[in-house]
Amino acid sequence: MFRPETMKKVELVVPDSIVVPVTEALAASHVFHPAASHLPQGDHTAPGGEDWREQATTFANLERRVLAVMEDLGASEGLPPDETPHLIEPEVARVDLERLEEQVEGPVRKLEEQQERLKGLQEYVRQLQTIADLEIELEGLRNHRYLYTLMGTMPTVNLQRLRSSLDIIPSVLVEMDRHGHLATVILFGAQRDAEILDRAARSAYLNPLDLPETYRGTPAEVLEALHAGIERTRRRIGEYEAAIRHLHQARIDHLRHLLWRIRASHTIVETIARYGQLRNRYVVIRVIEGWVPESQIPVLEKQMADLSDQVALKTSAPEKQDEADVPVALNNPPLLKPFQDLVTNYGYPSYYESDPTLVTALTFSLLFGAMFGDVGHGLLLVVAGVLLIAIQSLRFPRSLRDVAPLLIACGATGIVFGFLYGSLFGFEHLIQPLWLRPVEGIQTILIGTVAAGAVLLSLGMVYNIVNALLAGDLSRLLFGHNGLSGLVFYWSLLGVVVGRFIDPFPIPSGVLLALAAICGAMLMLDEILANLVSGRRPLTREGWTSSLVEGFFMLFETGISLFSNTISFVRVGAFAVAHGALGLVILILASRVGPAQGAGYWTVVALGNLVLVAFEGLIVAIQTLRLEYYEFFGKFFSGSGVRYKPLTLLPREQ
Amino acid sequence: MAVRDVSAYSVVHAVVRGLYSKRLSPDTWEALLQAEDFEIVLSLLSKTAYGPYLEGIPQDQVTPRRAVYQTRQRLADVYGKVIRLSPDRARELLLWLWRLYEIDDLKATFRGIESGATWDRVRFLLYPRHEYALLTLEDLEEMVLTGSVAEAIQSISGTPYYDPLSHALNRYQAERSLFPLEVALDLAYNRRLWETLGRLRGQDHEHAMQLVGTLVDMDNLLWAIRYRAYHRLSEQEIINYTLPFGYQVDDDDIRAIAAGADIASIVRRLYPDLADLAALEQLGPGGAAPLESLEVALQRRLVRMCYDEFVGYPFHIGIPIAYLLVTEYENRDLVVLIEAKSSHLRRGRFAPLLVTRSAVTSMR
Repeated sequence: MFRPETMKKVELVVPDSIVVPVTEALAASHVFHPAASHLPQGDHTAPGGEDWREQATTFANLERRVLAVMEDLGASEGLPPDETPHLIEPEVARVDLERLEEQVEGPVRKLEEQQERLKGLQEYVRQLQTIADLEIELEGLRNHRYLYTLMGTMPTVNLQRLRSSLDIIPSVLVEMDRHGHLATVILFGAQRDAEILDRAARSAYLNPLDLPETYRGTPAEVLEALHAGIERTRRRIGEYEAAIRHLHQARIDHLRHLLWRIRASHTIVETIARYGQLRNRYVVIRVIEGWVPESQIPVLEKQMADLSDQVALKTSAPEKQDEADVPVALNNPPLLKPFQDLVTNYGYPSYYESDPTLVTALTFSLLFGAMFGDVGHGLLLVVAGVLLIAIQSLRFPRSLRDVAPLLIACGATGIVFGFLYGSLFGFEHLIQPLWLRPVEGIQTILIGTVAAGAVLLSLGMVYNIVNALLAGDLSRLLFGHNGLSGLVFYWSLLGVVVGRFIDPFPIPSGVLLALAAICGAMLMLDEILANLVSGRRPLTREGWTSSLVEGFFMLFETGISLFSNTISFVRVGAFAVAHGALGLVILILASRVGPAQGAGYWTVVALGNLVLVAFEGLIVAIQTLRLEYYEFFGKFFSGSGVRYKPLTLLPREQ
Repeated sequence: MAVRDVSAYSVVHAVVRGLYSKRLSPDTWEALLQAEDFEIVLSLLSKTAYGPYLEGIPQDQVTPRRAVYQTRQRLADVYGKVIRLSPDRARELLLWLWRLYEIDDLKATFRGIESGATWDRVRFLLYPRHEYALLTLEDLEEMVLTGSVAEAIQSISGTPYYDPLSHALNRYQAERSLFPLEVALDLAYNRRLWETLGRLRGQDHEHAMQLVGTLVDMDNLLWAIRYRAYHRLSEQEIINYTLPFGYQVDDDDIRAIAAGADIASIVRRLYPDLADLAALEQLGPGGAAPLESLEVALQRRLVRMCYDEFVGYPFHIGIPIAYLLVTEYENRDLVVLIEAKSSHLRRGRFAPLLVTRSAVTSMR
């Protein structure tokens, strides 16, 4: 639970002739995480004469084309088939796809043309409506002997520039209407300046209203004709949509089958393209490298033995230099799954890092409970979590069911803190607080939560030290900003601050300041000291001055970060106080609505509590996540690991 | 206020100082200029901050284009790092500075689509990405795969680039030229950059205005001259294709150029330190000007301003901007050098185009 699953490096040596069935079997085993081979991939060709890499590109293009056809028909991908498809010849897939494309292309293109036409007609209507009341013939407006007119749309940001560019040309630019970032305008001028005005309008991106000559008469008459045209176009669109719906029904299964087969084939050839290759004059041997959890090795061995006696399989433990490549499979009980998701949402631990899921589960629940302390509200969360798990018949989405343990854990700590704060559905007099009521002891709770924050940050740094030990990274352990030097630096400064308020304090402040200064110097010189310890030369890459200046500012940054990280936890106390205060507000509102504590009073209490649980619960969850990610994880968790992702041909298998 | 500035900029300042010291030295530039061919350039660069980036090229793909791409990877990484370490109030402007490369990428993508190039050909013409990029490589690949400029524009709806492009599309379709699309992108980009610049306050505003304002001025002035001298556009077109704002170059200067005033005298008045530039003599009204020399002179002037930023009070946005601009021009110089060396051009043909001071110093 604290470490990722133990992985084994697997190397399979297979003759080229069975590389496809072996790859399909590896995918069917659901345990093999492929890795890029360290051997050259060679120029070996796939059946059909193409390079495997080229064939992967071919399948990617085919997939894109199938999806385009499906999009045209408004068809979804659907669920993957029950049976895993086998490799298809690209040529076979191409011919099949071209036939489908031909059938779909005609009606879709016609539909698009009509939709485009409809858009154009509607745009004419929009522009003409601004001059609908004018009793003039449009063709007359176009063909004046002395007057130049140009109607159209242009970006509003260009209006002023166009006006000012025409300062010395007799002209008027009238803005008729605005629609988003565009304006409908009419430009008037003298016909003798037509060329200048045309060029100016074009350069200001004034797109003229390009009304076909067939539309004649006054704006009102043209609008009537346009509306009739819109009606006709809509009817045509309806006809083409019906034809496309018919095609959708007739071809959907075929398209889905083809899509999943192409996708599976794409995965197969892409995987093969990354295999290494050994060849002599007569035979080509493929070397397949990857990772499998130690517990699953027998499964894979049996699968390969069943497939062929020509497959040689070798396993070995990962070496230190493999760290960046070893995939990480986290092995936590189902109850911790939502907390594991919180961790992996930030990043996967690297193979030699410890898994922080359990500690996240504890700290997340505690921080949430401290901010959301109320027996009744906590109970509601617990009940909601239990219902999500228990009532299977309601068919909640899986992602929602996965959250249930998180709700139960957070609700439970909310109940515990509710007893500590003496709060039940906002009522502060029904139970005696085991510790204090936040609204009555604001200073105590704020100091308490900052102290808890300091403990949590220290825990993060201890975690970092453990991780550095596991990874054998001495310089990070000793001189890292979150290593031993950072921890002692932090505690020394904390000691100096705490010593001001506790008299007598067991350690003299002079000693603490000296410790802080020594550790501060180590942090400042971390790069140089790390190089010294590891024997790397030169000690500094950028020169001493540059390193010292950068080191000083990084120390400054570390000091500020530690301070702000610690103070950040004051929000835990502030939310606890706010939670209590909001509870009181609900009771005050309820007593205003129903002074006699009748139906009105209890309705407001019930609704207010529900709103409080929903909204404040969400805000507190976000704050808790923020504290975990930025304050806590930032101290020890690199999140640089690679997720263990077994080879699969269909997504449902993952 | 000052304490806040120190706290906000201390880390980025320290890191930028460290990175600044990794610029190519005059000795390295001299060696690069003397290198006989592209392979020697690569081996010299392998010992510099660009070394780790060039190591990433597979042996069978060592081409000038790929080398340029790898050196740009460093520029992208440096941008990512500086943006990450900068305080929130500085971040938006730095992000918009980076987006100039996205504008270049969009232009390259459109050109690729127009010429029917495959994604593999277009890919290494683009700038590498970092975590703050708005358009991912997948987005740009999708654009290329559409095979049509109109569909490519549709595929980036929802980004700030969509509105200016979608409206300019009519002109592209009517004229079958990418010019309207590119100008619309440039104008929209500079407007957003200027708005972002306007939101800064105090020292940040002062220093950013000096550098970014000069950058905007340079583009605006060169556009106006180019549109008049090379494209022979009308006065109104020049005004509409340029910006109405600037730091030293204001709207009246642009309008004067558009109206046919003497360009050399305007440039001399705006930049007295460039008064002796020989190329100015040829910038007569309506004459085909040797804009290249003026462009390089203005760029060198900007780089000098960037170097000057490193002197004096350091806790403001000027330091990260100055470093990023210097790195950009160093990178551009490297691109010129790599292309020149791979084409076996003589030193005299390309050395005058180099901008950064160390490069210029080493030419003496």
